[in-house]
Amino acid sequence: MPEKIYIVDDDESVCRALKTLLMTYGFDVKTFTSENDFFSNVSHNDPGCLLLDIHMPGLDGWEVHKKLLGSGSNRPVIFISAEKKDSAADRALRVGAVGFLQKPVNGQTLVDLINFAVKKPGENK
Amino acid sequence: MKKKIIVNPKKVSKVIKKSAVKKITRINLEDKIRRQTNAIRIRDGQLKQGEDREKLGADRERLGADREKVAEEQIHIQTKAMDSASDGIFIIGAKKFNFPIIYANTSFQILTGYTKNEVMGQDYFLIYGVDADLRVVEEIKVTLRQGRPFHGEMLNFRKNGKKFWSSLRITPVRDARGIVTHFVGIQTDTTLMKQRNLEIEEQREELLHVTRVGKLAEFVSSLAHEISQPLTAILAYAQAAQRILAGREPQLQEILQYIINDDQRAAEVIRRLRYLLKKNKPTFESIDINVLINDTVTLIMPHITAKNITINFKLDNKIPLIHGDRIQLQQVLLNLISNSIEAMESMDGQRELMISTLSKSADMVLVEVKDSGYGIPAENMKKLFSHFFTSKTDGLGMGLSISRSIIEAHGGRLDAKNNADHGATFYFTIPINMKNANEQ
Repeated sequence: MPEKIYIVDDDESVCRALKTLLMTYGFDVKTFTSENDFFSNVSHNDPGCLLLDIHMPGLDGWEVHKKLLGSGSNRPVIFISAEKKDSAADRALRVGAVGFLQKPVNGQTLVDLINFAVKKPGENK
Repeated sequence: MKKKIIVNPKKVSKVIKKSAVKKITRINLEDKIRRQTNAIRIRDGQLKQGEDREKLGADRERLGADREKVAEEQIHIQTKAMDSASDGIFIIGAKKFNFPIIYANTSFQILTGYTKNEVMGQDYFLIYGVDADLRVVEEIKVTLRQGRPFHGEMLNFRKNGKKFWSSLRITPVRDARGIVTHFVGIQTDTTLMKQRNLEIEEQREELLHVTRVGKLAEFVSSLAHEISQPLTAILAYAQAAQRILAGREPQLQEILQYIINDDQRAAEVIRRLRYLLKKNKPTFESIDINVLINDTVTLIMPHITAKNITINFKLDNKIPLIHGDRIQLQQVLLNLISNSIEAMESMDGQRELMISTLSKSADMVLVEVKDSGYGIPAENMKKLFSHFFTSKTDGLGMGLSISRSIIEAHGGRLDAKNNADHGATFYFTIPINMKNANEQ
């Protein structure tokens, strides 16, 4: 049974490219260009790791993660970001994300992190 | 079969006919003059007794008339040419003391806004009007009186008061004895060129300014962000393709690897750029603004006492620590204080500088620098913080605009107002350090 991955990134080309790459690893990938779309289409009971972009119009990645936690979901989250702020990696871990990757993300690094995330579901601090 | 083209002579364009005729007439006239001149010369030489001198005289007269006609036409063309020129051309008399205008072409009239009737016979220097730079006008007068040519660029005013820049060349015209009888002037409108040069200069300054204050950081940051997206996609696709072709197509594998390498190279460039800009970014820390103000005033104290300025403080010691870059905030304080000192430079009366701090709101501190100078004129208020505005004669005018950018980068606002009594107050807000506030 292929592992499910969800991607939320406002850049459509990034969504499509990451989906293409992850599918070569055998993942089942669904992408959304807005957090609204994601929350409307994916229920909290649906398992699967979430790749979350930080810089998005409207709610940014941090706020979406807060919303996710607030709904009681313990879905593993990996932040991906186009910008690099030193504090971002620390902040990601502090809020309980599995990891923080900077764009452009290396495929293998991403997959290793995903595998780590799904092997330990619900282990959010 | 050759087609016969029948032309109705009546329908042939009259214009073509006329010009053709004119041309022929002209050529014939010049020819005629040449022949006649030769004929008269020959006849003159061969004049024998009984020759009809009257006839010779009459021929000479006709020749003269023909010559006159050609000369007239020449003058006519020259005049037309001068009047058609895009530059303003004028001729002024030099014998009289007041340089009367005896000719002004159409462009000159358009440029200056005066009609031919208004300028003819008038003193040339009256054209300059009351707003003109008297030093330049005087320089022109002196130069012309000495019979020398003048060349310069100056700001002029049209009849309706509108400004324009022009390049002016006035050259003496001499008679056969070498005495200056007239001056001919060429005036070119250089307003557009000057405008363009000014714009280029402004853009250059803007670029410098942007580099100085870290707005470049903002720009590069957003650029880096934008570029990271396609770089992400390219890398992902190349790596996906590699996996799909695993074990096959070694040449394509190699190509894909090159794509990946170059993509990562581009990413590295962006990373390096971001690192470079970090150095100019403000490094925030907790700062006691009152202490910073005291330190700054101590630095500039000799200057303050030298200018006979009284400095007073109203520093609220209960305000929390603020969140800011020490060096940049000191730059702002120095800028405001030295501006105030300069504002009171020419004052005879009381020279007082008052610096105060107070809590503006739950999360902001207000700093005010108040002087007892002449205040800010209404027309300067709007442009006060713009890049190039300065009322100093040799200033760069960058101080306030940089100060404003620094304060805005801190999350505050810098503004100015005129005091009710006299002088002006420059004030800015700064956010307090939230972490410390929570601990207090």
